[in-house]
Formats: sequence, structure tokens, C-alpha cells
Amino acid sequence: MTGRVPLFEAEGIVMRFGGVVALRKVSVTQFEGETLGMIGPNGSGKTTFVNVVTGHLAPQEGRVRVAGAEVTGFRPHRMAAAGITRTYQAVRVFRELTVADNIATATVDAPNRMDADEIAATLDWLQLGHRLAVPAGSLTLFEQRRLEILMRLVQRARLIMLDEPVGGLSATEVRAMLQVLGDLRRRTGLFVIEHAMKVIRELADSVVVMLAGEKLMQGTPAEILADKRVVDQYLGRAHA
Amino acid sequence: MTDALRKHGRGLLVFAVAAYALPLLLAGNRYFAFIGGIALLHVVWTAGMSLLYGYAGLMPLMFAGIAGISAYAAVGLMAAGFAFWTALPVAALFAALVGVGLGLPALRLKGFYFTLCSLVIQTVITLAFVYFVNLTNGDTGISQIAPPAWFGGPLQGVGFDLVLATLAVGAMVALVLIVEAPFGRRLVAVREDDELAEMLGIDVVRQKLAAFFVGSLFAAVGGAFYAPYVGFVSPRSFDVLLSLNIWLMVAFGGRGTIWGAVVGTVLLAPLPFLLQDYYKVKDVIYGLLIIGVIVLLPGGILGGLGSRAAAGTGTQSPGLRRKEAA
Repeated sequence: MTGRVPLFEAEGIVMRFGGVVALRKVSVTQFEGETLGMIGPNGSGKTTFVNVVTGHLAPQEGRVRVAGAEVTGFRPHRMAAAGITRTYQAVRVFRELTVADNIATATVDAPNRMDADEIAATLDWLQLGHRLAVPAGSLTLFEQRRLEILMRLVQRARLIMLDEPVGGLSATEVRAMLQVLGDLRRRTGLFVIEHAMKVIRELADSVVVMLAGEKLMQGTPAEILADKRVVDQYLGRAHA
Repeated sequence: MTDALRKHGRGLLVFAVAAYALPLLLAGNRYFAFIGGIALLHVVWTAGMSLLYGYAGLMPLMFAGIAGISAYAAVGLMAAGFAFWTALPVAALFAALVGVGLGLPALRLKGFYFTLCSLVIQTVITLAFVYFVNLTNGDTGISQIAPPAWFGGPLQGVGFDLVLATLAVGAMVALVLIVEAPFGRRLVAVREDDELAEMLGIDVVRQKLAAFFVGSLFAAVGGAFYAPYVGFVSPRSFDVLLSLNIWLMVAFGGRGTIWGAVVGTVLLAPLPFLLQDYYKVKDVIYGLLIIGVIVLLPGGILGGLGSRAAAGTGTQSPGLRRKEAA
């Protein structure tokens, strides 16, 4: 582990909503060049964790550091400036704006944005070049998912936190998306929340298992799949 | 900046020619010339409303109140012995800062809820105009407001109309520059989905406050000129009906489009004067227009034609309607 540079460190995060504790002392570190997966049943705190790291929620306790700098409680636009960004469980683009305007909006306040050539190359790679003049809301779901990724890439995000990136896609599209994500992780840091174990197995170097707001364990996909607690608590049901 | 002017250059040129021609063509009839001057003044207001409503997606019903604060401040300063041209920037800046303060609820409230809140604010401002008699002379209002000085003489007649034409052209140039600047793109992003905008690095709080400052500045400059042009201000001059009329001009012409506001103003601003003898019918016509716009032309005249070329940044948005309903 030594010598590796942490991309972000979340330390002892506690997040309460009224009397409900959504996260109890959760600590997760993601290193440069590593793809981290997060699994857990509904309500186990996965999305809340992403909300804390990306600045949507300020935790009651704990710290978040990005590349060693303290960013706890930063609002999302400052997290974005620090290179930490996310996608949403339900696809989220500016539906009334064209694809070109969506991209332009993503670069308007991105200090480290790509130049025109790089954007064109990335458009090509995500096969959205022919859709520039189309309102984003008219794209297929799979295209919208790719546009979401594109909008983070043009900002040169250091870490993209993907909340169920294959949700709602057909089996063929899931395969295509897995290829996209496989390439994507060579371009930027990825953190993937996913129910589909297939996705986690293929992408994640290390997996955090959440249960009832706590980090149950962390390990390689093989390790967590071999763990009896994980199989009982989560996979047992999901794979039944 | 020059790109924006090139893109809308022809429109701005046509508008400038029309704005300057209007007072000259109507110079023979002081009453019609006055109506023309009022319409030009309304262009300044609708430009500001266009920014706030058409681009930032907020419907500020206290818009007239801000214009009124500026008007009363300008009149007060003039009564205290200051020249109009000194009173103007002070009053406008003061009212614009008040506008930022009154825009604070927009940081928490969206769409319909913000509109309701702004309605309450407007009501309170109108009550304040009535209540603080020392400053405003209450319901009686302040009459015989002296015209601004202009090269040794009073600014009046065609001269004043031409100054208002300059003001209207300036307002439209400013709107074009703002909307085509990164600031305009940020505002559209905030209008479409503020949470996503924030996630993409846009400081939403700052953009909203900036929008309120700039939009209020338009309201305030218009208000400060209104006082000496009309020569009379009262709480009724700046009540919620004015806010609604200005909003209607933007909505009717085409929100989120540069020229929609002007089209709406040209069609609607003269209406109260032309219908003066039928003042009861006037309110009915306004009511029907509001309903007509909402039901038949949610995108306004320019937006309704689906003319994306005419639609400023090409981001004229039917999405506004949905969001406000939500």
C-alpha cells in the first residue's frame, strides 16, 4: 500500500438525518489508478456516501481529503474544481439543451478543461459526434449515459463516481457500457456503485461492501465473493 | 464579446434604428410620443425581466417594487438638491443591492414557490411606499418631478424620448452581451437543473445573486428615469400589476429569446394608454392574454414559432413550464 497516492480519503464519516444514521464512521480511501467498487443492499448508505464525498451533503463527523487537501463541507462546485465529480442513479443531463450546449455548459467553469481537439476525440470515442445538434432529452438512455460521462471527461475530472451506471440499460447495452467503462478507467479514476456483480467483477480492483450504514468489509472482488457475511447479507438474496 | 455583437448585430441595428425613429416619427403628437417613450422605458425593464425570467428561470414579482425603490430614491435625492445624473447611479445601485437582498429567497426556493414569495415581497414594498409618508408622500404620491438638466436646459420632449431610446438600445446591447457571455450559459444551466449545474462546477449561489443584481439594475435604471419622465410617482406606479405586465411582455414575446421581450413590449406596453377610455376592459384583456399565453403559447410568440434561430442562444426552453408546475 505504501507509495501509492490517495485520490480521496474519507475518514470516519458520520451522516445522520434526524434520528436515522445513514453512515456510521465510514472510512474509505481510493488510490490513483485504482477503480473502487461499492456494493450493498438498498438503504445501506452507498448513495449517501457519494453525496458526502461530492459535497452534496456535509457530514456531521469525519473528514474528506482530496489529494491530501482537506475538502470536508465543500459545496459541489468546489469539489468539481478539485476534480471530484459524479453521475446520478437516474440519468441527468440538460434535456432541453443540445448535446453541444451540454458540453459547453460542462466546460464553462472547469479550470482544467479539454481543448477543442481533445473534446472532438472524446466525442468520437463515445460515438456522440453525430448527435451534437440534438436536444439531450431526445437521446436514447444509453446515449444520455455516455453524454454524462463525456461531460465529466471534458472537465478532466480526476475521479468520476458512477451511481449505477448500467441501470435501465438492455443486456446488449450493458455489454457495450462495460467496454466504455473499461476504457474509461484508463483515462480517469472511477468509483462505481452497482448492484450488478458482473460490472463490479469486471471493473473494480477493490470493493467496499456496505451494510446498514457501515462498511462491512473491503477486498478484491474475489475476496468479497468468498466472504460468507457478504454472501449471506447481500449476494445470497440478490443472486437467489 | 465581439462574437455576440456580430451574431445579434443585425437585430441590434434594426432595433436601434426603430428606437431612434420612433420619437422622431411621433414628434408631432406629444401624447403618442409619450406612449412611445413609455414603451422604450419598458424595453429596459423587460430586458431585465428577460434575464431573470427567460434565462435564470426565476419569476420575480417584486420587480416593480425594485424599480419603485429606485424611483423614490432618485426623487428623494433630487429633492435634497442633487442633480438627476448624480441621483441616478446612486439610486440605481442602491435599489439593485436591495434587489439582491430580496432575491435571497431564490437561493432556497424554486419556480412557483419563489414566485409566491416574491409576490409577498412586492406587497410589502407597496405597503412601505404607502406607509412611509415622510419619504414617499404616501398614497398621494409625488408630482411635478423636475426633469433632468441637459446642457443647460431641462431635458424634455423629443430630447427625453431620444435619451430613453439610447437607454433601451443600451439595455438590449447589455442583454445580448450578458446572455452570450459565459454568465448567460451559467444562468441557463441553473434554470434547467441547478443541482447538475452545481455538480459541473458552477457556483449556483453566486450566479443567482449576480442575476438578481444585474436584473435589478435594469429595473432600477428604468425606475429612476420613469420618475422625471412621467413627472409623477405613487405606490400604484410600481405595484404588482406592473411586475405582472413586464413579466407578461417577456412571456408573450418569448422567454429565453433575446428579441421576444422587445416584441412583447412593443405589443403590450402601449395597450393601457390606447385602452384608457375602456379601463375596465383593459384588465379583462390582460387576464385573457395571460391565460392565452399560458395555454396556447407557452413559449411566447418567438418561441411558439419554434424559431430556434431567433431564440438567442438556441436554448429557448419549453422545460420552464414543466419546472414551474412541479
